[in-house]
Amino acid sequence: MKYVAAVVMIVLAVAATVPSAPEAVQHDPPPATELPPISTCPLIVGSGRSTNIGILSSVNGQGRVSSFSSGASGSVEFRTGATGAVTIDAAEAGAVAFSGGLVEMPTATTAAGVVTIGESDRAAESCADIPTGQAFLSGGSTASGAGFDVQLLNPYAGEARVELTVTTDAGIESDDRFDAIRVPPLSTATVRMGEIIPGREEISVAVEVISGSALAVGRQTTEGRTALWRAVEPAQDWWLPIPQGGGTKQLLLATPTNTEVEYQIDHYGPEGFQEGLATGTLAARGSQRVGLADITEQTAGVRVISTGPLVPTLWMNTSASLALTTASPVDASAWLLPGAHSPPGGGGTAVILNTGIEDVTVDVITLRETALTRRFDLSADAVLEVDLVDADGYRVEASGPIVVLWTSQLGGDGTAAIGIPIQDG
Amino acid sequence: MAVRMSQTTPQVADTETVDESPHPPRVRIVLTAVAGADLEAALAVVRRQVYEPAPEVVIVGDDVDGVESVPSLEEAISSTDSSFDYLWLLHADARPRPDALAALIAESERNEASLAGSKLLKAGTMDELESVGGATDVFGEPYSGLDEGEIDLQQYDVVREVAFVQSASMLVRRDLAQGLKGLDPLLPPVAAGLDFSQRTRLAGGRVISVPSSEVYHQARCGERGRGWREQAGRLRAMVTAYSPLTLLWVLPYDFLVSIVDSLASLLLGQWKPMVRHVYSWAWNTYHLPSTIKQRRRLRPIRSEGDEELFRFHAKGSVRLRAVGEELTGRLLSLFDDDQALSRGSRRMWSAPGIWGAVVAAIIVFLGARGIVFGGMPNAGFSFPFEPPTLSLPRWFEGWNESGLGSAAAVHPGTGASGLFSLVWFGAEGAARTLTTLLLPVFGVVGMGRLGGRLGLRGPGRYLAGLVLIAGPGTAMLVERGSWMALCAASILPWAVRAAFVHPHEFGRSRLSHFGWAVLTGLLLAVFSPLLVLLPIVVVAVWRTLGGDRGSFLLALVVIVGGVAGVAFLMGDPGWLTDPTRGLGVVVDYLWPAMILVAAVAMLVTEGRLRLAALTGGVVSLAALAAGRLVSLPPGVEEAVFVSASLGAALVVAGALDAITRDVLRIAAAVGGVALVVASVLTMGNGRLGLPAGDVNERLSFATTLAEGSGSGRILLASTERSLIPGEARSGPGYWYRVLDGDGTTLDEVWLPEPEEGDEDLGTSLGEISSGADLRPGARLSSFAIDWVVLEGPPFILDDALTAQLDLVPLPLDPDARVYENLIAGPLAGTVDRPWEEDGLGFSGSPIDGRVPVAMNYDEGWSPDPAPSDWQLTVDGNEGSTVWSAPASITALSVAVLGLLVASMAMILLGRRRS
Repeated sequence: MKYVAAVVMIVLAVAATVPSAPEAVQHDPPPATELPPISTCPLIVGSGRSTNIGILSSVNGQGRVSSFSSGASGSVEFRTGATGAVTIDAAEAGAVAFSGGLVEMPTATTAAGVVTIGESDRAAESCADIPTGQAFLSGGSTASGAGFDVQLLNPYAGEARVELTVTTDAGIESDDRFDAIRVPPLSTATVRMGEIIPGREEISVAVEVISGSALAVGRQTTEGRTALWRAVEPAQDWWLPIPQGGGTKQLLLATPTNTEVEYQIDHYGPEGFQEGLATGTLAARGSQRVGLADITEQTAGVRVISTGPLVPTLWMNTSASLALTTASPVDASAWLLPGAHSPPGGGGTAVILNTGIEDVTVDVITLRETALTRRFDLSADAVLEVDLVDADGYRVEASGPIVVLWTSQLGGDGTAAIGIPIQDG
Repeated sequence: MAVRMSQTTPQVADTETVDESPHPPRVRIVLTAVAGADLEAALAVVRRQVYEPAPEVVIVGDDVDGVESVPSLEEAISSTDSSFDYLWLLHADARPRPDALAALIAESERNEASLAGSKLLKAGTMDELESVGGATDVFGEPYSGLDEGEIDLQQYDVVREVAFVQSASMLVRRDLAQGLKGLDPLLPPVAAGLDFSQRTRLAGGRVISVPSSEVYHQARCGERGRGWREQAGRLRAMVTAYSPLTLLWVLPYDFLVSIVDSLASLLLGQWKPMVRHVYSWAWNTYHLPSTIKQRRRLRPIRSEGDEELFRFHAKGSVRLRAVGEELTGRLLSLFDDDQALSRGSRRMWSAPGIWGAVVAAIIVFLGARGIVFGGMPNAGFSFPFEPPTLSLPRWFEGWNESGLGSAAAVHPGTGASGLFSLVWFGAEGAARTLTTLLLPVFGVVGMGRLGGRLGLRGPGRYLAGLVLIAGPGTAMLVERGSWMALCAASILPWAVRAAFVHPHEFGRSRLSHFGWAVLTGLLLAVFSPLLVLLPIVVVAVWRTLGGDRGSFLLALVVIVGGVAGVAFLMGDPGWLTDPTRGLGVVVDYLWPAMILVAAVAMLVTEGRLRLAALTGGVVSLAALAAGRLVSLPPGVEEAVFVSASLGAALVVAGALDAITRDVLRIAAAVGGVALVVASVLTMGNGRLGLPAGDVNERLSFATTLAEGSGSGRILLASTERSLIPGEARSGPGYWYRVLDGDGTTLDEVWLPEPEEGDEDLGTSLGEISSGADLRPGARLSSFAIDWVVLEGPPFILDDALTAQLDLVPLPLDPDARVYENLIAGPLAGTVDRPWEEDGLGFSGSPIDGRVPVAMNYDEGWSPDPAPSDWQLTVDGNEGSTVWSAPASITALSVAVLGLLVASMAMILLGRRRS
């Protein structure tokens, strides 16, 4: 029996040392990320300015706008109504001075945008999700007494810490106030570039969120004219519809990378693809302005393709207005233009660029008490400019991929804002 | 004795001294009647005293014709006229030698003593000494210095000053006796002697023992100082004699000594000392007024301070010393079946098992040094005991508060923790530490005793105990913080031993064997229910290999003890069936290799060693193979890996039992030593292998920052399972569990089967983790989760909580991300009027209407329970809510208690019969 026991032990010992031990018990798989339908908006209320928040949705649903500056300021609930559109005065949500607004939207197919109206100026920008990676803001200037502020909006309960890498015509700027900027929960923090680095012609800011979450918005004030635009993630392929006429138009290209970036700009007109507009090379962390005067005698569109990440910003300047907006890195068949309207006594247009290789049919839907649809045909690679009327916003749907931008003018004031694509639209 | 009784002539020196006295002192003999003593005989013996002038006799408490009698000793003393120089106070059960009085007189005169006592010999014995006077400790406990049954070989025959003499025969100066008002009538003889002696000394008199005055004492007057009356008398004597300042510290000290003495005696199975202490204190409380009167009487004649009494005091407590010696004796006798210790220290240290036991015990204590100096870790599966006022009722029929609460019974270890705490006066912290320190030693001893039962005699069987508590399996479980596994391993060898019968005991004390089998089975099941099956496995392997001492019947009886775990297993069957809940223990391949080498090499050895090694090898390797090949549920995993350690310990016990020059035996010994060394190394952290850390301390901010609604709950989550204390639930991409904000306790280590609330919490966490929920605080508030703590590397929940609106991150822990939920609801009650935990229920201000309780709904709650979603609501008008267990849980608890009592009764009855 003892030998049997010995054999049994040897067998058991071998079994006890087999390399394939039972797999360690694992936890359940992580769920797919499903971000809540929210947008963060820069709000300015007071000192003769007011902000309207335009909210467009594909459904008649309920939502809430909460404002914050140094903690929660207030909130207001809304319902998008039968047309899916509603405009809310930011003051109703408790916004004061320079605030942030968090829009909790009824569905993912909802978009929000703000239109800030001053006594002598107007600014518009789409509200947005907070970028998860590095964001980039270019087009600021502190030359000739101009003011350029970077406003950091933290709509969440956790503190955010942000690092800014500021590049100007003088090179990379170094200042303690760019490092580890603390943005308390439900608060905003403003970095006033005019005080820190006055006299800079061209300012680009790379925004890196170290912890927490914060949205960066640029606010340029030049001779009483204000422009508002948000930081976006750099990319290598951009689309930008451009309205015709109206002062100086420039395309500002800037890259946050440490290497040179080659780019190519294609030009699209009402008849379709025209020609290559420009090619060039951006120096590391460099920027260039490309004049658009030659191509904007009529409605135009451009596509920017690059060898590295960059951000193109449309810069429109007249004697009475200043408007900046970034291009779109994506195209889609449906777009929301929250806040898009033609102010009474003024004008407004939607500029639609067909990015596909086929002709498309475009429906431009005015959203107010009742929806009004206008249908247009748009050739492949062609661009179209459509007049707007007073409304809460617009919804643009096409049979193929398009990119949409809207502008408005009143007196000398002008605004421009890229639309918000509905990816599943 | 007969020879001595025939002697009538006093010793020469004494007689000469008396003869030289020009005026021999006159003596009055005060003979006190004693119930049951022959007074006539006593008178006859007294009249034979050789002393001139002839003493006068007076009898106290009885009448004899022709002899003067008085009703009380006090009257006898006070009625003595001044013509008498001395009083000889004598009990009627004393039989003095004819020269006893003369010797007392002579030595008193020569030494100028005020009080002299005779040497008392036990009547009816071969000159066995009862008293030669003596010292006391500070509590008045007599210390004679005599051994039990010590024969008088005249070894104490020298006149000396003593602390006290017994009242059975004492010669006292008449004037002093009258001044002291005689003996205290309430006191029994020894205490009376002590009291009188002390008062004599405080009055400036000398107390001497006169060995040449020999008196045979029948001891009918008392129980030779062992009854409760004597104890009470000593306390009274102490209170009478000491100054208030001394009493201020002596009395509390004595009270403490009484408690310790009672408890230590209970450990020895002696209940009478405790009763004596209770009676003693009660009696003295009742007689306090008369004691105060005695103190007043003493005051006018007191001329000495307490220092006089301290002169003859023995150090420490005589009582504790005696009980300590007995305890030590019994404890040491466990180490060796040969009873070497009880036969004397020289032979003790020559017993082969002793050295192994001592070395193993020292290693265990060294391995526990961190616990001694730094306290118990609170990590893994090792957490503080609840106070016994909670743990015992919770085990008996209480609500299981683990997680979101459940009607499932708590782990039976909860009851054991309550019992341990109760034994240590409710000090659950001390009980936990001491249990952790002592149980492994108990396990080492058990392993030695098991080896002895299997026929091993060498020191290896005790060293094998180290492999049992820290070897393959146990070490892996303990490394994860399984305190229960450590305890189970410590008890396991006793349970296995209960299934083996020593050849000398076959057919004897069968009832006792059954009692031990049930008792050890119960204790084992308390810590690891499934392990009760191991004894029968060991017996089966042992018998299959040709062993003859294993009893299947006894092994089956051990299984009966498993009833202690039935309620727990009924409430949480997944503990035995769900492999996804296992700890995922993996034993390094070196362990089976070492076991195999040691066991196979033992094939060539003699029968008993080979049997032990092969049995251990098969059991251990089978367990390790099972653990390696199959995913095991936690209960099975625990039992299997502790079994592996026991098997390895048996191999070591055989391999190290006796070492010869044979190559294979040397190989076996090397394997055994390697196993011991590897085991000892696992205890290297100084905590017996338990993990470091204090989760409760780290999470104490929940209590510190708690507001009106209490500490609530903490949701702890991590991708690393080991960072979650106790059992963890599988979440969406991480592990998590809910902890009590007031600190996790042992009863909460295991999570009961998920109920509706647990499912809801899992769903909520899934949605929160996806980032879809902007207000996770609101989502978690109904679960009364006040805090969310994320441990380890960042994971999906970190991302989700970066973008949310109502959980506030706070920098409270440098190693974890802590979020406070400011809108969490209370555990019970409403936000405005929260209820607090009250025992095992909740109470607070009465609330008109339904009151939510953040516990899984169960109909056992009252008053008027109703579910609201997953949680419980009760009628708030009574202002409290409690839970009543189903009859099945209560019945099982009663059965366990009944079985416990029955097993102990069987052991006692069986021993008595044998």
